[in-house]
Amino acid sequence: MLRQLLVADFLKIKRKGFWLLTFLGPLGVVALQMVNYGLRKDYLLQQSDNDWEYYLSNVHSFTPLALILGIAIFTSIIANIENETNAWKQLVSLPVSKMSVYLSKFTALASLLLVSSILLMVFTLLFGVFLDLGEEIPYVELFQYSFYPYFAALPILSLQLWIAIVSKNQGIPITTGVLGVVFAYSAYYLPDWMIWKWPSLMNAWGEPVVNALLGVGLGCVLYLVGMFDFVRRDVK
Amino acid sequence: MEYVIKTEGLTKKFGKETAVDRLDMKIRKGEIYGFLGPNGAGKSTTIRMLLGLMKPDSGMVRVFNKDLKKERIHILKRVGSLVENPSYYPHLTAYENLEALRKILRVSEARIHEVLEIVRLSDVAHKKVKGFSLGMKQRLGIAVSMLHQPELLILDEPTNGLDPSGIIEIRNLIQRLPEEYGMTILISSHLLSEIDQIATTVGVISKGKMIFQDSIHAMRKHSRQTIILKVNDGKRAEHILQGKGIYANYQDSMLLLSKLSDQKVAEIVRMLVQNGLAIYRVEEKQSSLEDIFLQMTREEA
Amino acid sequence: MRYILQSEWYKLRKSKIIFIIFTSPLVGLFLGLTTQLVNEMEGNEWYLSLFTMNVTYALLFLPLITGVLASIICRYEHQEGGWKQLLALPVTRGKVFVAKYVLLMFLVLFMQLLYFVAIYLVGWINGFTDPFPMDIVWKSILGGWVATFPLVALQLWMSILFKSFAAPFTVNVIFTLPTILAVNSEKFGPYYPWAQPFAMMNVGGNVGDVFFIPWEQLLTVVGGSFLLFFIGGYMYFQRKPV
Repeated sequence: MLRQLLVADFLKIKRKGFWLLTFLGPLGVVALQMVNYGLRKDYLLQQSDNDWEYYLSNVHSFTPLALILGIAIFTSIIANIENETNAWKQLVSLPVSKMSVYLSKFTALASLLLVSSILLMVFTLLFGVFLDLGEEIPYVELFQYSFYPYFAALPILSLQLWIAIVSKNQGIPITTGVLGVVFAYSAYYLPDWMIWKWPSLMNAWGEPVVNALLGVGLGCVLYLVGMFDFVRRDVK
Repeated sequence: MEYVIKTEGLTKKFGKETAVDRLDMKIRKGEIYGFLGPNGAGKSTTIRMLLGLMKPDSGMVRVFNKDLKKERIHILKRVGSLVENPSYYPHLTAYENLEALRKILRVSEARIHEVLEIVRLSDVAHKKVKGFSLGMKQRLGIAVSMLHQPELLILDEPTNGLDPSGIIEIRNLIQRLPEEYGMTILISSHLLSEIDQIATTVGVISKGKMIFQDSIHAMRKHSRQTIILKVNDGKRAEHILQGKGIYANYQDSMLLLSKLSDQKVAEIVRMLVQNGLAIYRVEEKQSSLEDIFLQMTREEA
Repeated sequence: MRYILQSEWYKLRKSKIIFIIFTSPLVGLFLGLTTQLVNEMEGNEWYLSLFTMNVTYALLFLPLITGVLASIICRYEHQEGGWKQLLALPVTRGKVFVAKYVLLMFLVLFMQLLYFVAIYLVGWINGFTDPFPMDIVWKSILGGWVATFPLVALQLWMSILFKSFAAPFTVNVIFTLPTILAVNSEKFGPYYPWAQPFAMMNVGGNVGDVFFIPWEQLLTVVGGSFLLFFIGGYMYFQRKPV
C-alpha cells in the first residue's frame, strides 16, 4: 500500500519544481564556494594548513541553512498540493490508512533530501578536485559533511511537515522556517538541545556523529507525534 | 436606440483558439438579458471583457454609451457583478466581506444590512464565509454585486450549484429588480430552463459566436409544431401519404408530420380514413425552448 | 486611493499577520540575549550587543520575513477569486498595487519599531549603564527599513505572480542566502540589493554617512533596484489575467 501511495506522491509532485530544487539546493551551496574561491582563492588558501578541510568547512557553513530552508519549502509545497485542490478528503477516502498517507509524504521528502545530500557530496568533491586542494582527499570527512547534516535535520523535517500539513495558512510553516534559519545561523550560541543547532554538527563533545544519531532518534519521535496528530484530526 | 451594453466585433484568442469571435451584443435598458450557451462557449470570457478583467484582442465594448477602455472606472461605479464561482475572502465573515468592499464603494453602512436582508443572510452575517454552503456563498456574491445599487447587474451563472428552491428564490429576486430599482440585468446560464421564465431577451453563443439574439418571443417562434397521428397500421399510412407526396416519419408506432396547415391536416385524416385506416389520436406537439436551444447550438457545432 | 488603503487594511488585520509581525521583536530578544560575546571592546556596551543582533536580523530575518508579509497580503486574493472581485470594482490595478505596497511598507516600519523596543529591552535586561546611542540605533532602524524598499517590491511582484507561499519564498531564499558571502566582499557587497539591509543596519559602518552607506550607493543600488522591481511588478499586475 505504501508503495502505491509513494508512486502517487511522486506523480503529484511532478512539475512542482521538487526535482529542480533537489538539484538546485546542493548546487547552490557549492556554487557559493565557487564564487568565494573564484574571487579570493589565494586568500582562502592562506587561512589554513589543511586546504581540503577548510574547503569542506566553508561548504558546510551553508549546508544547514540550505537544508532548513529547503525543508520549509518542500513541506509547504507538498501540503499545499492537497490543500489548494481540497484533495485531502479525496485522498483519505481512498482505501488507505491515514498513517500510510502521512508516512508516504514523509518518505517522499526524506528521499528527495537524501538525493540532495548525495548530490552535495558529488558537487563538493568535483569542485574540490577542480580546485586542486591536494592529493589526499579526505573521503571520511566528505561523507560526514554531506550526510550527517541530513540525518541531524530529520527532526526539523518531521516538525515542519507536521506544521505544514495541519496549517491551512502556509504562512505559518514558512515563518517557522524563517525562525529556524535564524536559529541555525546562531548555532554557535545555541544550547545543544535546540534541534536547529544539530545540522551544524557542533556539540559539547565535539563528536559530529552524535548529532546524526540524535537526529534520527528525535526525527522518528517527532514523526510519530505528527502522524498521530494527523490521524486524530478530522479531514475538512 | 440607446444600449446599456453594446459590443462590436469583440474577439479574444487564447493562443490559437478563438474563445470569443466577433461578438456583437446589444442590451437595452430595463431588459433581463439571458446570455445562453453550452459550457466553454465563451460566456465567461465575454463577461470578463465586459468588466475589463480581460482585454479584448480586437473589437470594442460600450457600456452606458461610454467606451470601456477609456472610462472603465466611471462605468464600474454603476455596475455590479458576480463572475463564475462566487468570490469571497474566506477569513472574513459575511458582514466583513461586504464591509471590505464598502470601503471602496463608499456606500452607507446601512446598505450592508439591506443587501444581507435581500439575500436572506442576516442571520449568519457574523459567521465566517469559509463555513458557508455553496448556496449561501452564491447569495453573498449577489449581495456584493448589489451593494452599491448598480444600474447594471452582470451575473455569470448565478444559480450554479443551487438547489431547486434556491434557484426559484434567486429567480424571483432577479425578476423584481428591473421594476423596483430600474436595473438592467445580464444573466448567463448554460441551461435555458433556468432563465426562460425571466429573460426578456436572449443571446445564444456557441463556439464564441453569437448565433441568435432577439426577444424571447422571437425565439419561441422558432419552435416547430409537429402533428402526431396514432393509427392502427402506421407503416401502411406512411406509405399512402408518401404516395401523395406528403413526407411523414414513422417511429414508435406514431406518425410524425411537421408544419401543416389545419386544412392540410383535415385532408390527410380524410385520406387515411378512406383507405380504411383507423385513427386513434391526432395531437399537436410544440417543441420546447430547450429543444430549440439545443437544436441551435447543435446546428452550429 | 485612501479608500483602497482602508479596505486593504481591513482585510489584512483579520488575517493572522500580527503574529508574524511580532516574531520581529522576539527574534531581536533571542539574538540579543543568547548571542552574548564577551565584551572586550572599549567604549559603549550597547554597540557590541547591537552589532551582534543586527547581523543575523538584517542578513537573514528581515529579507525573508518581508517576503512572508508580501505573500500574506496576496493570499486571500488568490484563495477564492478575490482578484476578480476586487478588480471588477471601480478601482485601477495601479492603485491596488500601490495600496498593497504602501501597506506592506508600513508593516515593515512597524516591525522595525518593535525591533527597536527589543534592542532597548535587551540592554535593560543586561543592565547596560552606558548612554543609549539614540542617533545610531535610529539610523540603523530607519536604514534597515529603507533598504527593504526594493526587496518588498520584488516580493510583492512574486506573490501576485504565484498562488503558493513556497514559490515566492524560494525566490527570496535564492537571493538572500548569497548575502552572507556578499557582505564579505568589498567589491560586490555594495552592489547587491539583498546586502543593503545589512549594510544600512551595520552600526560598524561609517557613522558620517546617512544610514552608514554613501549617498551614491543608496541612490543607485537601493533606488535603482527599487525602481526596477516596483515597475516590473506594476507592469506585470497590469497584464495579469484574472
